[in-house]
Amino acid sequence: MNLNWLDAFLISGLFSVVVIIGLALLLHLQLGLTRIANFGVVGFFGIGMYSFGVLFTKVDWPFGDLPAFLVSLAFGTLVAGLSGLLVGWLIADLDEDGVLVGTLGFATVVFILATTEQDLTGGALGLGGLKFPYDVGTVKADEFLWLIIVIIVVTLIFLYVWWVHRTPYGRLLIATGANEPLARSLGKATFRTKLWLFAVGSAGMGMIGALFGVMERFLAPENLGIDVTLAAMVALVIGGTARAWGAVIGGFLIFGFFDIIVQSYIPFPKAWYGQAIPNAKLIVEGLVLMGVLLFRPLGILGAMRRDKLMRRVHG
Amino acid sequence: MSETNGTPMLEVSGLRSGYHGVNVLKDITFDVGNEVFSVLGANGAGKTTLLATLARLITSTAGSITFLGNNVTRIPAFETAARGMGYVPQERGVFPDLTVMENLNVGGMIGERSREERIDEVVALFPDLGNLSNQIAGTLSGGESRMVACGRALMQDPVLLLLDEPTAGLSPLYVDMFFEKIAEIHQDKGVGIILAEQNATKALEVADRVMVLSLGEAFAVMDAANLTTDQLKEGYRI
Repeated sequence: MNLNWLDAFLISGLFSVVVIIGLALLLHLQLGLTRIANFGVVGFFGIGMYSFGVLFTKVDWPFGDLPAFLVSLAFGTLVAGLSGLLVGWLIADLDEDGVLVGTLGFATVVFILATTEQDLTGGALGLGGLKFPYDVGTVKADEFLWLIIVIIVVTLIFLYVWWVHRTPYGRLLIATGANEPLARSLGKATFRTKLWLFAVGSAGMGMIGALFGVMERFLAPENLGIDVTLAAMVALVIGGTARAWGAVIGGFLIFGFFDIIVQSYIPFPKAWYGQAIPNAKLIVEGLVLMGVLLFRPLGILGAMRRDKLMRRVHG
Repeated sequence: MSETNGTPMLEVSGLRSGYHGVNVLKDITFDVGNEVFSVLGANGAGKTTLLATLARLITSTAGSITFLGNNVTRIPAFETAARGMGYVPQERGVFPDLTVMENLNVGGMIGERSREERIDEVVALFPDLGNLSNQIAGTLSGGESRMVACGRALMQDPVLLLLDEPTAGLSPLYVDMFFEKIAEIHQDKGVGIILAEQNATKALEVADRVMVLSLGEAFAVMDAANLTTDQLKEGYRI
């Protein structure tokens, strides 16, 4: 496959944006609909990534790469989902402060485990040996194909979120987030609802972590910084927490602008890419976030559900 | 104490509950049959606490609640609806981001009757809801919101409806309409009603029996017709 037309920066930039959008979509179900402020996104992302990576690289698989990859991916997703079940059980009845501390604490625990459990994770030195479950010729072609696969996965997540918005289950999530005691009085088992939502969302985050790990080919605790959680949260807040498209719009706007357009298409001097551009990126992201919160607190898309329905009623 | 006609739907005995270790309700005992049972009292008397405790949204610290012959003192809140108890809170009674129809649908997932049949009945009772069905509930007026909340509770086919000050803050027109509807719900649908109200005059017009709460204690439980102005004043601590 001739991929000379494709910039390597474009692949990595687009991949980062797609991963952030995937996490933001799952966070949208938790934060946007059900008002569970999960600040531990990177913890579930990380535990899925490391569970997958450890199993994939440390086990002497008797069969080929693809089955080994699929089994390891399922394992990483399962571990993240079970972690979500446990953390969700602990935080489901806590107030906002408790949820923040509980989820952030979980992310910290995962980071510490990744750093200290050297036999399993390689500790601060990292865990190598990850590879794509296929070989299509060149590294660039492998990465490009992996990008396409991850785009398909994130598109499926988007379709799931879009579907949830249109089902009684979605209305249950909105009702639970808006007024949990009222939802309970109407016969809704809100604790169970939040628990399963948290477990499924966490499993999805873990799966995305595993897919991210394959692209990196090397797992290190640096991948588990709070910036992953903040990226998903900022993308969602900027796009609009209440809308499925909010995660997509916010992800492209805030991260796509720098990671794709600036890095791939604007001919800045190479020396700037060391510190100047990453720092400028943080400043611009901060300014955009402040601007959105000041002038469009519901995000760029706002509460479009409400706006759209009002237009339908009043013309 | 006055007695219900026939077997009581709800029997409350020695009930205590409150918030953060402070008992707002102190040893409340009463029973309710298929009737309109009005709970009267001044601000802070414990009316909202009582109804929220019956709906199991607040955990009682002592006493028992028996509903349709079953002890429901410790069941989870979400089970009360399935057992036939509908609850309409005083404030924040609608889900603001859902439409009126979606709000009604959230309540219509219990029982076997079709949702459409229940919606038709609710719209027949509150015709305004038919015109508002696609409107987002967060944009409704106070009176419209109360209609949605009441209609949604009726979507559950309750046998006992707990109404927490349904007319508080409404215009006189809405107040009259709501009291007419309360009587209609009881007479036409055979639903027992516990009505917490400050508006004693209107509440006594529709109530069969009454309980006056005073600082968390059941000051008087009697037939509504027998309640005197002096008793009411004393209960309201006027």
